[in-house]
Amino acid sequence: MTDDRELESWREQWSGVAEPSAELQREIQLRIKRQNRRFVLGNLLTVIAFLGMLIFGLFLRHRSSWMGTGWGTSVCVLAVIAAACRVWFLRGTWRPEAQSTRAFVELWHKRVTARIRLLRISLYLSLGWLIFCAALTAANWATIGEDFKTHPKAWLVLLVACALMQYPVLWYGMVWIRRRKLAELKEVKNILDEMNDV
Amino acid sequence: MSESQRALEQRFERIFREYGGAVSRLAYSYEAVAGIREELVQEIALAIWKALPHFRGECSERTFVFRIANNRGLSHVWKRRPQHQALEELEEDEQPVDPRPHPEAKAAQSDERGRLLAAIQSLPVAHRQMIVLLLEGLSHAEMGEVLGITENNVGVRANRARKALKEALGVRP
Repeated sequence: MTDDRELESWREQWSGVAEPSAELQREIQLRIKRQNRRFVLGNLLTVIAFLGMLIFGLFLRHRSSWMGTGWGTSVCVLAVIAAACRVWFLRGTWRPEAQSTRAFVELWHKRVTARIRLLRISLYLSLGWLIFCAALTAANWATIGEDFKTHPKAWLVLLVACALMQYPVLWYGMVWIRRRKLAELKEVKNILDEMNDV
Repeated sequence: MSESQRALEQRFERIFREYGGAVSRLAYSYEAVAGIREELVQEIALAIWKALPHFRGECSERTFVFRIANNRGLSHVWKRRPQHQALEELEEDEQPVDPRPHPEAKAAQSDERGRLLAAIQSLPVAHRQMIVLLLEGLSHAEMGEVLGITENNVGVRANRARKALKEALGVRP
């Protein structure tokens, strides 16, 4: 059998694989509609969340004590730093350099590497945030101390809640994501190696 | 619904009518389980729908569809890998049961098409992509565009992929 006849024979077998059913095409149409609705809803929620944060920040500045103003301002600063870090570390990973499968895999590799770096920075940023909070509390201990003596139970509950939140979120959450990203990086490297070796 | 949206929907329907079969076949090379493969076809269709407004005709529609389908297939390989490994390790009676009847898959196991599909699925991803494009009858230039390699390179890789497929099929050179 010559190579071409062999290829023809493979093509014949290959073309006999089932076409997508009408039911599948209907399902695709439904998914597209759902996707469109989700896109609109997602944008709407983002706008609502942003406006909500803005209103909450303004409310804190006008209504709350110096503590509320301090926390509110520092949360805004943290949000800006986090956004800036995200943009900086993910730069060059928005679009592929070419329109091909290889370019897609290379972009995928860049994105995973950038996200792993971003995760590490996020951990440092969270630790910095904790140190900042501790410093803010220490600097204003005279005022907080009095409140602590008046409502010790409420403060203890707050501290325990903060510790419980920080530990699982910072530690387990980040470790889990990092492990997943490292596995993804390994897989992408394998695919890239396969593409280079073949 | 706006005029442009309607035009986009019509274009998508035409593309999927034209290349739906090819997408479905390509999905076979990335996924063996029928139910999950249908999901993959839907994912590819959605990806085409999302990319269509940005498609300015820099390449042929066929190249555009195959590129997106391959990219989505690669993502699927990653998403599926941990489960896939677990699936292979499972005992036969623990395998997830696809509720839909798939007589084709059952019958195919014994015929040549089944052997060909199984052999393609057993190849490394890069060979798999090359073989599928070869079987779909893309020219070397189109394959190069889809995969991001030169035409000369396509020739070399196509030969290697064919050799690997022959080996997987147990054909003597």
